Amino acid sequence: MSILAYNGGAMVAMKGENCVAIAADRRFGIQAQTLATNFEKVFEMGPHLYVGLPGLATDTQTVREKLRFRKNLYELKENRLMSPKVFSAMLSHMLYEKRFGPFFVEPVVAGLDPKTYEPFICNMDLIGCINQPKDFVVGGTASAQLYGMCEALWEPNLGPEDLFETISQALINAFDRDAVSGWGATVYIIEKDKVTIKNLKTRMD
Amino acid sequence: MSLVVKPNFPDYQTAPVQRGFNPYADNGGSVVAIAGDDFVIIGADTRLSAGFSIYTREQNKLFPLSSTTVLGCSGCWCDTLTLTRILKSRMQMYQQEHNKTMSTTACAQMLSTMLYYKRFFPYYISNVLVGLDNDGKGVVYSYDPIGHCEKRTHRAGGSAGALLQPLLDNQIGKKNMLNVKEEPVSQQRALSIIKDVFISAAERDIYTGDSILINIITKDGIKEETFQLRKD
Amino acid sequence: MSLLEMCGMENAGSFRSENSLSQDISQFCRNFESNIQLGVPPFANPAQNLAQLNKDDAGRDIKIEFDHGTTTLGFMYQGGVVLAVDSRATGGQFIGSQTMKKIVEINDFLLGTLAGGAADCVYWDRVLAKQCRLYELRNRERISVAAASKLMSNMVYNYKNMGLSIGMMLAGWDKRGPQLYYIDSEGTRTPGKVFSVGSGSIYAFGVLDSGYKWDLTDAEAYDLGRRAIYHATHRDAYSGGIVRVYHMKQSGWIHIDNNDCNDLHYKYQAEKQAIQSV
Repeated sequence: MSILAYNGGAMVAMKGENCVAIAADRRFGIQAQTLATNFEKVFEMGPHLYVGLPGLATDTQTVREKLRFRKNLYELKENRLMSPKVFSAMLSHMLYEKRFGPFFVEPVVAGLDPKTYEPFICNMDLIGCINQPKDFVVGGTASAQLYGMCEALWEPNLGPEDLFETISQALINAFDRDAVSGWGATVYIIEKDKVTIKNLKTRMD
Repeated sequence: MSLVVKPNFPDYQTAPVQRGFNPYADNGGSVVAIAGDDFVIIGADTRLSAGFSIYTREQNKLFPLSSTTVLGCSGCWCDTLTLTRILKSRMQMYQQEHNKTMSTTACAQMLSTMLYYKRFFPYYISNVLVGLDNDGKGVVYSYDPIGHCEKRTHRAGGSAGALLQPLLDNQIGKKNMLNVKEEPVSQQRALSIIKDVFISAAERDIYTGDSILINIITKDGIKEETFQLRKD
Repeated sequence: MSLLEMCGMENAGSFRSENSLSQDISQFCRNFESNIQLGVPPFANPAQNLAQLNKDDAGRDIKIEFDHGTTTLGFMYQGGVVLAVDSRATGGQFIGSQTMKKIVEINDFLLGTLAGGAADCVYWDRVLAKQCRLYELRNRERISVAAASKLMSNMVYNYKNMGLSIGMMLAGWDKRGPQLYYIDSEGTRTPGKVFSVGSGSIYAFGVLDSGYKWDLTDAEAYDLGRRAIYHATHRDAYSGGIVRVYHMKQSGWIHIDNNDCNDLHYKYQAEKQAIQSV
């Protein structure tokens, strides 16, 4: 079994019309055993910037703290907000620093540019290879299922309500076919003037 | 001092190499089946591949076993050929012995037993058997490689099985949908869902593509249809 | 012919050209005639050596994943035997099915639960069902559960260490009253009062042991089985789907009900909140 599947977890981010969404499950488990169902894998890194870190739970937390440190340092030095693009480049570099002893996370970044409010999503592998498509990105143990769901459900120019419905359906149906993720889900809808956070009611088995 | 001069043939000086025999191959491909009240539809892509090379873009992976039963196979193609050859012969033997065609349910059980016979050296195939049962209702049977069999209303198997199954659960099984009433799918809708899911699979699964062959089984017989997918 | 013998080719039957299809037909379905005779692989020790064949010619992984994973339980009480099971089948981490039937109705007075390899359990239960029926026809009485369980354990013992994976409970009612046996592919066969088998059994036992007593009423017994399975599905990733409850009575088995784990979860949660708020 891959170490990336040791704790389990599913993650997806989608672009919409002037908004982005990122969603993740809430399980924290060790292989088959579910230990908690309130585990956060998506973290707020700025007013319009969120990062999801599915993978090995210990590295999720370590990478999150390292990111917070580096991002704060940047913002103090430069006295401006970090854009999602810069943030992703920084994260990518940080992961590649550990090329031969990597952190076992497959990050997903979603946000709006602080100046233009341009939607931004990207994901990367555990050593920081960035993939920046125009539609959606996925990560974690249910990624095959998520690809199938997103490929069929996603369409261009979704408004925030439709985007919420699409990403929720994609995530829930995907992790219902994955043994090691699920047990609740959190969805973040990021718009110019507000961020909506919703916890979804899902199967708990 | 040795009197025997050792000849030196560098071409023959090789380190011992361990040779292995790999009886299995993954030839890819996906099968999707949906059952309705008076019909059943099964679709399979027509790409036969091995690793990064494509053997053919037009391989039929659906095997009609009787006028109401069709088997869809994906996985190891050589295993598929053997399995279907034996299965077809057994169907014929049954026909000749009993002077009637084997029912879909009986065929489903026979396939399970045949798969289990090779329990210790399994067929590497993802099987989906569809047909009409004795009441004319559509049925889908799905199998694991050693013959565990389950009757369902919808099933995606093969290399893109994991991508497509949740989508079918959602669209056909109405999973995670609030305030919808359970109603049987129409033939038209089942057909369009099959086409849609294969388009999605062809985007993300390199072993699925080129085109799909669809069999629509009703009491009037088996109707064939093809649908083009991306070919890269 | 003598050359064939000298080369030791007389056993390589399938390479001979004459009659090869009809030979194949019998060779590839020998278990049709003799159910307990399975195909012999062309290598020794299949449990280990099958795993060596996990690459194709291009060096890519071949993963043969069988449907697995379970929580099942059974216990005896004053009213007979209660069996409760979940319904999830997983191949690797992928959930192959959420609706699998893990209780096999062997006949009106015998039920088998299945845990471990799904195909292993279903196949051997079917063979057992046939043998039990034959016993009835020959002896004009139903087979005892002890005998049925021994038939089962003897059959699978022949394949010990070949990689079979079975952990089953056999519940029945015979001349000697209600019976519950545990049988597995290692050859274990033992009668008992309370069993739980499968990946989620540790969680099920926790609930079962704390609520179990001989004098349970029928309704209490069903609820205990249901709760134990539900709690196992909540904690164990490889269990889930539907909780099925069966009851073995003197008059034969009856199916009590099926409950979706999703409904059970929110029902139990509401009950818990109601108690806390009082």
